[in-house]
Amino acid sequence: MPTRTTPLLAVLACLAIGAATPVAAQGQQPPVPPPPLSALAPANLSKPRPKAPFDLTGTWQHDGQANTWRFVPETFKLTPEAQVHYERGVQALKDGGVYRDDIGQCWPAGLPLIMTRVWPIAMIQLPTAIYMVSHFMNSTRIIYLDGRAHTDPDIVVRTFNGESIGRWEGDTLVVDTKYFPGHHHWLDQGGASVPASEDLHIIERVRMVADGRLDIEYVMTDPKSWEGEWKMTKTFRRRDDTDITEVQCLPDLNDHLPATRSKAIVK
Amino acid sequence: MTRSIIASVGVLVAMAATSIAAHHSPVMFDRSVAKTLVGTVVEFAWTNPHASIQLDVPNEKGGVDRWGVELGSPQSMARTGWRSSILKAGDKVTVVVNPLKSGEFGGIFVSMTLADGRKLGGRATD
Repeated sequence: MPTRTTPLLAVLACLAIGAATPVAAQGQQPPVPPPPLSALAPANLSKPRPKAPFDLTGTWQHDGQANTWRFVPETFKLTPEAQVHYERGVQALKDGGVYRDDIGQCWPAGLPLIMTRVWPIAMIQLPTAIYMVSHFMNSTRIIYLDGRAHTDPDIVVRTFNGESIGRWEGDTLVVDTKYFPGHHHWLDQGGASVPASEDLHIIERVRMVADGRLDIEYVMTDPKSWEGEWKMTKTFRRRDDTDITEVQCLPDLNDHLPATRSKAIVK
Repeated sequence: MTRSIIASVGVLVAMAATSIAAHHSPVMFDRSVAKTLVGTVVEFAWTNPHASIQLDVPNEKGGVDRWGVELGSPQSMARTGWRSSILKAGDKVTVVVNPLKSGEFGGIFVSMTLADGRKLGGRATD
């Protein structure tokens, strides 16, 4: 015998069927492809691949002679938007202060500066990826070598080290990195205050030029911040005498340091 | 069309005289000045990426100024003889720093003499 609850049950049943139907089946969205194998999946690691020309596994540190850690060239043309920041940085320097020292305030250094901090970088190379962990704030960088393409820009989560895709060209590892956040990210610290926009694009050409010596050529473009290409080469050397340790940028760290709590910081 | 500007090479060269040896910019320290602080340790923080000392230094007005002294990373300091137990609150020390240009009570470490006469150096900036 029908009851007054029957229509309600019918409606709920229809809703349940609708909820269980994939969006794609409704003809509104294409089917979502299955996710690729992760870089650490055994099935990916065991795929046949040519032997890598060199193995970066080890601890490396930028050969920090003089000011070779810097990534801003001696001459450049900035966009008006970037020029504003640069000039504020120059003025702060003249006043004995520092402009927008976001790294000092615990924002990530990001690529490229993360590569040339004074702290070493632990690198582990697998057939599918290179994992880098900097001693500096334990910043993680992954270079994928398994043939994947860059992530759909509509999906990717932008990060300070960006998304790095590498490929071997002869004896050189070529790494293409993009998808930066476009805020609190700089090409220098305490000097040329040039911002990195979300369009920063970096090509690295990594070569093991000698036992224990790594040269990385950087070619960087960022049409929202400067004109043309910035090109330079950095040298790295093995540090077999040290391990990285856990390092965090914590609020109480900066409370203890005169430089990070100083009123001379221009925000 | 955006207007582009050629940066002054001279300005950039002047900036290049700084180093990047800390997690923050070091340009606010006056490297040409070595200031000697004689005071009492309030706190010694053995922390990454920098160790630090909070130091009470008597001033001319009969009070004390609380100075912050920035040191290097414990890992690098340990290689020059530093230990986490080397300082404790209440210790009397003499510390030489490169002070902040702003005149605030802070500086980056150069050297230290403990009450028993031991001297410690060590890079303050890595």
